[in-house]
Amino acid sequence: MTDNDNDAVEVVDDDSDPDATGDDAGTTAEASSDQTEPVADAAEGATEAAEVAEAEEPAEDQGPTFDEDVMPDEEADLLIPVEDYLAAGVHIGTQQKTQDMERFIHRVRDDGLYVLDVSQTDSRIRTAADFLANYDPERILVTSSRQYGRFPATKFADAVGARARTGRFIPGTLTNPDYDGYIEPDVVVVTDPIGDAQAVKEAITVGIPVIAMCDSNNQTGNVDLVVPTNNKGRRALSVVYWLLANETLDRRGSDTVYALDDFEDEI
Amino acid sequence: MSQSEQRRTKQCVSCGINISGISAATFDCPDCGHEISRCANCRKQSNLYECPDCGFTGP
Repeated sequence: MTDNDNDAVEVVDDDSDPDATGDDAGTTAEASSDQTEPVADAAEGATEAAEVAEAEEPAEDQGPTFDEDVMPDEEADLLIPVEDYLAAGVHIGTQQKTQDMERFIHRVRDDGLYVLDVSQTDSRIRTAADFLANYDPERILVTSSRQYGRFPATKFADAVGARARTGRFIPGTLTNPDYDGYIEPDVVVVTDPIGDAQAVKEAITVGIPVIAMCDSNNQTGNVDLVVPTNNKGRRALSVVYWLLANETLDRRGSDTVYALDDFEDEI
Repeated sequence: MSQSEQRRTKQCVSCGINISGISAATFDCPDCGHEISRCANCRKQSNLYECPDCGFTGP
């Protein structure tokens, strides 16, 4: 925005109070001389102001703008448009990073947040779908102690025919045959290795593979397949579980396709 | 398959140690389906593994 543009806007807005533009003597004098036709001047000024505003902020009408630098290869073939990933915040990491997750991090933003490589997230969702398609649906266990992951995890389990344990993971679910809720899955999918530490621990005890949604601050110890994603956002988890469900069903040859809305809980 | 052959197939893909115990995991490679075994130590330390068939690197 130039100084002249500023002056034009100020003259129109403060037509009734010439002192408000006192910083610029030339503009004030012009405003005083035009007071014989205040209505016509105001209309003309308003048009100019609107044109200036339109020229300055063309992107405002086109919706929100997103980070552009979120993966090394701009031409990567993704499951959904990169804008959809960015709108859901799948690429947003944390202000901490672990050495384990360093290879999935693309860059660090000015505000200190690490940005995950969206192309690797996309690739790992496909890989996880391939992996899960090898298992009997009823032998897949999905867990989420995290609030925002409970609905997508349950929905995912419904979609692929798996079992879900959301909320507190009762110790002994995988290891204590005397417990009523005892189950023997062949693979475990966890939403957050930190929050679902009990599920990971029991999966290790019984020797079954673990798939985990890992953010930039997660350690990947005891995890056999990492899906790098923002595992703290409501919409991010919805998008990832939605894609994972659709891809898994696709690998099985199912015609069922879910919409993203099915995986988004009402706030 | 003889016992010795069975034992040979159950080697950790990361460190090559013979696998024993229940904390190890055996699963099919997510990319090509080749059987991958990881020992408890490599899983705990998050050591990278590479599929001998397709080169997929995990975790």
